[in-house]
Amino acid sequence: MKFGALAAVQMVSFSLNPGEILGMIGPNGAGKTTLLNCVIGIHKPTSGRIFLNQIDITGMKPHKICRMGLAKTSQIMEPFMAMTVFENVLVGALHGGRMRMRLATEKTEKVIELVGLKQYAYKLSGSIPVPARRRLELARALASGANILLLDENMAGLNPHEIDEALEILKKIRNSGKSLIVIEHIMRVVMGISDRIIVLNYGSKIAEGFPEEVVNDESVIKAYLGDKLTSLKVA
Amino acid sequence: MNFKIDRIILIMFLGITAALAFLPNFVESEYLLRLITVVIFWIGIAGCWNMMSGYTGYIDFGPVVYFGIGSYVVAIAMTKYGIPFFPSLFISGVISGSVAFLVGIPTLRLKGAYFAIATFAFAEAMKQITLEFDRTFSVSFFQGSDGITLPISGHDNSFFFYCVLPVTFLVMLAHYFIEHSKFGYGLKAIKEAETAAEISGVNTTANKLGAYVSSAFFLGLFGAIEAYWITYITPSDVFNIQKTVQMVIMTLLGGMGTFLGPVIGATFLTLISESLGARFVEYYLIMIGGIIIVAILIMPNGIIGSLKIRKKLRFI
Ligand SMILES: Nc1ncnc2c1ncn2[C@@H]1O[C@H](COP(=O)(O)OP(=O)(O)OP(=O)(O)O)[C@@H](O)[C@H]1O
Ligand SMILES: [Mg+2]
Repeated sequence: MKFGALAAVQMVSFSLNPGEILGMIGPNGAGKTTLLNCVIGIHKPTSGRIFLNQIDITGMKPHKICRMGLAKTSQIMEPFMAMTVFENVLVGALHGGRMRMRLATEKTEKVIELVGLKQYAYKLSGSIPVPARRRLELARALASGANILLLDENMAGLNPHEIDEALEILKKIRNSGKSLIVIEHIMRVVMGISDRIIVLNYGSKIAEGFPEEVVNDESVIKAYLGDKLTSLKVA
Repeated sequence: MNFKIDRIILIMFLGITAALAFLPNFVESEYLLRLITVVIFWIGIAGCWNMMSGYTGYIDFGPVVYFGIGSYVVAIAMTKYGIPFFPSLFISGVISGSVAFLVGIPTLRLKGAYFAIATFAFAEAMKQITLEFDRTFSVSFFQGSDGITLPISGHDNSFFFYCVLPVTFLVMLAHYFIEHSKFGYGLKAIKEAETAAEISGVNTTANKLGAYVSSAFFLGLFGAIEAYWITYITPSDVFNIQKTVQMVIMTLLGGMGTFLGPVIGATFLTLISESLGARFVEYYLIMIGGIIIVAILIMPNGIIGSLKIRKKLRFI
């Protein structure tokens, strides 16, 4: 994927297996967000192909990809401000899940319960605190009924206690049979929850493997962990 | 969501419309009936603009083009093809909607000011086309600046009252539908954050186009009704940007993207201009300008919009 002359992501190939949680790490600007935005159709990749269950989805419109079962949360959080939390999630159920109003309302109630947003359900989404907004992103993606969820730093800005809660929710989601790709800077989260991890740096994939393999990979340590090595040993 | 209030408002709305349907039987004064018709007419037109721009946030600055197309279609259908009024009326709506479909596909990709400019330019272009077409191609079709005289209807004011009322009723019903449907939530999501809407599964192109085409369909009907009512049209009248401005101001005053916004805005502005216009012939436009400025300063979200925020209402 190129933005003008800048190759934000190049020559990266990876796959996600059913039921798996794939961690994605890399320094700021490595191209993680760009890569997943290509996957869900926000960017049209300048080269390369993307397949979902053997179907080529490269260049499809994002709403189509969403309806096919691929939903992403946004790193920068984009709630529909003038709508309540409930209505935000309802949009995902109605449009992403292609449901009728009655079914969508039921689905929305369930999802809101699952992510623990009940107390905020009828608040305007512009007025709720950041941790709740992060959950709202997740809820909206879930409501679409997608089988694959792409979470872009969905725990950024949370305190350790809120992270634990979020991890619990992710485990519940995984146990319901969904696959996840989790972009996260918080090592504790990625290491703890991922089945596999891929590492990006300057737009290229520099490592892939089980969490413990990746941590010990030399190029990863050099490119990314370098100064964080001490904290990693503690963890 | 407070569905109880929504129901009450819907019932009130149906009740008021039903009551209005009997109005011509009671109103003796032709002037009053005409005034009421004009108010209902503007509620409908402002509603058309609100349907598109109020809910999607795409500021259409050329809605008058669909009004004008409606006027010209009805005029040409009746004078050149001898089609009676009601079929012609229907054709006007369909042609306006179809043109909107073709124009919407490229223009709705534009964002913000670019969309506003494109729609404005299209409206001006249509005015020029109807003005110059005949001279350029040496035909007599639009009849340029001479305009077209429609067959004299011979109908009284109550006839036009009964033309306008159902169309405005449908526009308002469409508002109610927008407020409570999948389609409407799609539009509101587009207004708030278009990319987020798209990745949440909203077919943004189709939803925007749907709003744009419906708005144009109804505007076409209003254009046709007005043409038949005043029986003489010229390009500079029916494509007059003044009409666009009026729709925008009425909706802003009442509250964009609200159910009652166009109703309140159009009623308020029409009645104010009527009462001031009679008394202060020379200054009334300045006074209206002042009133609009003050109203927008006090209520930046419009009358209904501000009420909604203050009272934490979801639907009105
Ligand atoms: N729309 C865009 N136009 C131009 N350049 C972009 C655009 N989006 C991202 N970039 C550039 O592409 C590169 C990769 O950015 P990206 O946001 O994908 O990184 P990231 O790995 O998600 O970083 P972070 O951890 O900070 O979120 C950066 O150099 C960024 O500046
Ligand atoms: Mg990122």
